[in-house]
Formats: sequence, C-alpha cells, structure tokens
Amino acid sequence: MRNKFDEQLEKLHVELIQMGAACEDAISAAAEALLKGDTALADAAEEAEKDIDQREREVENLCLKLLLQQQPVARDLREISAALKMISDLERIGDQAADIAELTRYIHLTDGLSRLHIGEMARAVIAMVTDSVDSFVKGDLALARAVRAADDQVDALFEQVKRELIDLIAADAAAGEVGLDILMVAKYLERIGDHATNVAEWVEYSLTGVHPSDD
Amino acid sequence: MTRKIFRSMAAVSLAVLAASLVLIVGVLHGYFQNQVLEELRQKTTYAALGVEQAGMDYLTGDLPRSSRVTWVAADGTVLFDNWEDPAAMANHADRAEIREALLTGKGSSARYSDTLAEKTLYYALRLSDGSVLRVSDTQDTVWLLVLEAVQPVAFVLLAALVLALWLSGRVARQLVAPINAMDLEDPEGEPPYEELAPLLGRIRSQNRQIRRQMQDLRRRQEEFGAITENMSEGLLVIDRETRVLSYNTAALRLLRGAKPQAGESAYALNREMGFRRCVEGALSGQRTEQLLERDGSCRQVIASPVQQDGAVGGAVLVVLDVTEKEQREQLRREFTANVSHELKTPLTSILGTAEILENGLVQPVDIPHFAGNIHREAQRLIGLVNDIIKLSRLDEGDSGGQWETVELHALAENVLAQLGQAAETKQVTLRLEGGKALARGVPQILEEILYNLCDNAVAYNRPGGSVTVTVEESEQGARVAVADTGVGIPPEARERVFERFYRLDKSHSGTGTGLGLSIVKHGAAYLGAKLSLESQVGVGSTFTVEFPKV
Repeated sequence: MRNKFDEQLEKLHVELIQMGAACEDAISAAAEALLKGDTALADAAEEAEKDIDQREREVENLCLKLLLQQQPVARDLREISAALKMISDLERIGDQAADIAELTRYIHLTDGLSRLHIGEMARAVIAMVTDSVDSFVKGDLALARAVRAADDQVDALFEQVKRELIDLIAADAAAGEVGLDILMVAKYLERIGDHATNVAEWVEYSLTGVHPSDD
Repeated sequence: MTRKIFRSMAAVSLAVLAASLVLIVGVLHGYFQNQVLEELRQKTTYAALGVEQAGMDYLTGDLPRSSRVTWVAADGTVLFDNWEDPAAMANHADRAEIREALLTGKGSSARYSDTLAEKTLYYALRLSDGSVLRVSDTQDTVWLLVLEAVQPVAFVLLAALVLALWLSGRVARQLVAPINAMDLEDPEGEPPYEELAPLLGRIRSQNRQIRRQMQDLRRRQEEFGAITENMSEGLLVIDRETRVLSYNTAALRLLRGAKPQAGESAYALNREMGFRRCVEGALSGQRTEQLLERDGSCRQVIASPVQQDGAVGGAVLVVLDVTEKEQREQLRREFTANVSHELKTPLTSILGTAEILENGLVQPVDIPHFAGNIHREAQRLIGLVNDIIKLSRLDEGDSGGQWETVELHALAENVLAQLGQAAETKQVTLRLEGGKALARGVPQILEEILYNLCDNAVAYNRPGGSVTVTVEESEQGARVAVADTGVGIPPEARERVFERFYRLDKSHSGTGTGLGLSIVKHGAAYLGAKLSLESQVGVGSTFTVEFPKV
C-alpha cells in the first residue's frame, strides 16, 4: 500500500516537473516571439498553453485521488496540497504567456522600442520561472527564497519600463498604440513574476511546513 | 516451531495425565473391592460360628444392621433375613453364591443394583447342617467413586495442567532458542543440533554461491561503469517511469544536471523541450533525435526505446556534444555561400561586357578597353579557382609536390622580384634582409606562403611605405618575417583574417580573392611551420613563419 503511495507521489513529482517545463517553454517562446518578431514562436507559446491546461487537470486528478485514497499526513499532505496550489499558479503563467504571444503579433520592435527594458524584464521573469521550477525539482530552499528576492527586481523593471513608455509617448504620440501594447506585455510579465513567486512560496511551504506569508 | 513443540508437549502431558487417572482409579477400585470382599469373608465366618453355636438366637440378637445377613436352608428356603421378611423372599437356591456354597462350602458373587450406582458383594458359607449363611455388603461403583472425588481430582488436574503448560512452553522455547540464535548469514561452527548439520551445510554453500555471484555482478557493474565513465558521450538509461537507472558523468555534464538520487526522474536532470521530446518519443517506442541548444553550446540527444517482452521497458539516451560539428557545418555553409558569391561577381561583369560587345553597342575604339575588362575579370576568376583548388588540396593533405630542402633567401628574392611591378605602382619599397636559411618543404607551397604574405604586405600598404622581408637561421630553425608599414589589423580581427573570404576591407573592392592568408595558414600547418602575427593599427603588421630545423 505504502509502496503504491510512494509511486504515485513520485508520479506527481514528475508530472509537476513536466508542467513546470511546459511553462518555461511557453514563456521562453512568448519572449522570443516578442524580441525577434517571430510569429511561429507565438504559435508555439499558444500550443504550450494548451498542453499546460491539459496537465493541470491531470495533476489535479492525481492530487485528489491521492488525498482521497491514501489520506496522507504530515509532509506528504503538505506536498500534495502545495502541488494543488502550485498548478493553479503554473496554469496562470501559461495563460499569461499565451496572452503575451497573442500581443506580439501586433508589436514590431523598432530601434526606438528595442531601447526599452522590456527584453531585460522578459529575461528576468524567465529566470524566475526557471528558478522556481528548479527549486521544486531539487527541493532547494535557498533557491526558492532567491526567487522571492528576484521579484522585487522585476517590479523595479516594470516601473522603469512604465516611465520609459511615458517618455516615448510624450515624444511621439503616434507610438501610443504600440506603447500601450508593450505596457500590457510588461504587466503580464510582472504578473508572471508574481506567480513564480507564489510557486516558490509553495515550494518553501512543502519543504518547511511554514508558508512565508505567515511570518 | 515453538508453538508446534508446545502443542505436542501439552497434548502428550494431558494424555499421560488422563491415562494415569484412569489407571489409578481402576487399580484402586480393584484393591478396594478385594478389601471389602475380605472383610465380608471374615464377617461371614464370625456370623457362621455364631449361628453354628447359638442358632437362630444369634441372628435375632443384636446383630448390626450395617450388613445384610441371610440364612438359607439347604433347599433354598430363606430362614432368616435381617433386612427383609424371610417369608416374602423367593427361593434362593438359584443364586450364584449360594449354589456355589452348597457345592463347595463357600461362594461369592457381585451384582449391580438396578441403579448401577451401587454394587452389592455377596459371600456365602455352608454350615455343618447343610444350610447356607450369606452376608452381603454394598460398595460404590467406580463412577461414583470418581464422582465423589471429582473436586480434588479436578483441582489436581488443573494444577497438573498449568504445570504441564508452563513446562511445555519453557521447554519448547529452550529447544528453539539455539536455532533462533544461529547466524544464517555466516553459519560457521557446530550446529546446536546435529540434525541441522545438512541444512546448515546447504546454507553455507548457497551463501558462498550468492557471494560469488554478487562479486561477479559487482565486477561487471564496475567494468561497465569504468567504460561508460571514460566515454565523452553522455549515456543515460531510464525505465518506463523515466527513473534514472544508469548514467555517466559526461551525461550529467552535457545535460547540466546534478547527480540524481536513487529513483529520481530524468526530468530532474534536464527539462529542455528537446530532451523531453526525446524521452517521450523513446518511451512511446520511437527512436528520437533532438538538438539542444543553449548558451552557444549544441548537444545532440539520441533516444532509443528498449523493448522488453514486446513492450517498451525503458530507453537509452546518448548525448553528444556537437558544438564543434555545428560550427564546422556553419563554416562550410558560409564558405559555399561566399564561393558562389565570389565566383558570380566576375562572371556577371564578363557577361555584361560580352553582351554589350555582342550587340555592337561599342565603338571600335573602345573595344580594347572592354576586352581588357573581360580579360581582367577572367584572370581574377582563374586566380580564385586556383586558390580554391590549392586550399582544397591543402585541406585534403595532398599538395601534389615533392618535399625538398629549399634555400629561403633565394626564394624570397624571387618572390620580391615578381612583386616589383605592383610595388612600384603602389610606391612601396621592397627590402630583403638577413642571410641564407634552409628549410624542408614543398617548394610550391613555400613560394605560395611567401608570395601571399608579401602580396598582402604590398596591397595593404600606404604610398611611400615599405615591406621588409627578413630571413634568418637560428638554433631552432629557419625564420622568415614579413613586416609592412600598412593599415594594421585591429585586435578583434586578428583571428579572423585567416578565415576564408574574410577581408579587412568589407567593400570587397580589393583585387585579392580573400583566400591568401587562409592559404598561408593551411600551408604553414601542412609544412609543420609556426605562424604568428603582430600588428598595430596604423603602424603596420609583421607575419612570422618559423620552420622546424632541417
């Protein structure tokens, strides 16, 4: 009985890694689509989002099955409940990556626009998502905490992009439409950063039993 | 085993207990009966004496009523009975004891009463007058005896039972304890019971066999590990659930994963999309190949399914570092593109000029000019093709010439003489310094190296500049240095100038093919010479070729 339980827990772990990896794919493809203007990558991001939705349902089923049939306690219970919370954050990351991919179809980064810090912001967010998934895969508490610290940096970059866009629109009113699109992208990226932080917090909870927001 | 022994012993003791009870009761009962009979005989003897002397008076006197006394006449008529009325009693001649007494003088018998709870014992004696005197007594039956004794017997039984159970348990444990204490991993020494000796011998030999097989397995595992460890290719074996079964350090390095824990999924090592596709593909039974590109390095993953009993039981993944291969492939593609471009430019020029001439659009006076154009472009084309042929020969390692010992000073003189015209046009002074020096090599390649170096030195020079060729011979071998006072090469381009078709002057306006320094590099490598470059932008460059000692 225990053996079966351990097997299922392991399966849950692998499913979560795959879902996290799919999120990384989605956000990377969306960012590449934005920076290189490649619509094929935008399609890839939207494809990845569908994969993520599918995986979310599978992991959810697995978690509920584990909870009902095995009635786990202590650390196992924490891991499963953290997994249930994590998948909704990962699913949101996938959705927002797809939203960014959709927007990139209307944005063509000209020389003036490429000076914005949107590229840096995208890279910082990708690093956050990668690190949060990594912290889960390796059970790395220090890395999970580093993700929370990185969120401040992304927030600062968001403020910077916002100021740059204000200057841009003030200088050239014709850039208003694309400027707003870029602001949306920046907002989505900032939200993805928040979701990555949530994932890292749930990793911390499953490892220590204390959710960082309780401190 | 303890339980079995305990049960058997308990059963045996209970059986013994029950049997002895039955025996004792039986023996005691017999003994008691004899006692009673003996007593009865004495009583009868006394009573008979009394009757012989006193007759009926003795009997009617105060005879104790505890025993029944009957006097029977010789014909069986009851004369007296102290319990019942003699007149009402039947003729007793047919009673066993009386019949016996009448015949032999004495007789006895025992009869159960109706209830069976009592047994009546009779003893009869024949008196001198022929009549018979009989005395009887009752005795409890065995069952009654047992029934009366049931309480103490039960108590004794219970005590014996408890004692038997306790002892059986103890003994059983004591018997089994040495068996339990045996070390089956290492059953050396004498067995506690000799009956166990064959079993222990068998275990010993099987232990030895298992140890040998384990050692074999471990050695094979180590051999396999050592072989795979020395592979530069990464090797990863996973099971159906993507758990890592075996890996080598090259795999960890190429996949950039940390050492996996036992039973960890391969996805914990790497979760790049290509890798995941490979794993999924292989586990669904398809051989899958993917390229993983990250941070400028390129790795190829080849995943093959492992078939087990007709189903996919796992997968073997081989990871190769193909960064260099990809780079070479990239260079080859660039070379092809460049060659086509370089060949096309003069041909387009020739085609255009020829068309103009063909259509008669040219004044006869201008014909030599146009023909000269065609001639020059055709020459450039031939030069280019020749250079490409030379390069590809050097690449193949086939120069087509014989190795000879060549005097470099004379060779340099010859080369400079060929370039005299060009130097004059560019107003560049040519100088040759140093003395005789010998080197071994293919004369055509040596000349090619010197020619290309000097040609570049002239071409990239400034008007009024100079080219100095120094030929020296030292302990290490011959050395030729070509120094110019030209434009110089910026540091970031110093590696790239030796690449095919690379030009400092991006406009491609020069007359060269862009292959000169590439030929120098490959030629020097072919001859085993060392090529070095020093340069300062705006001041000039010095190319030095050092040949091994002859």
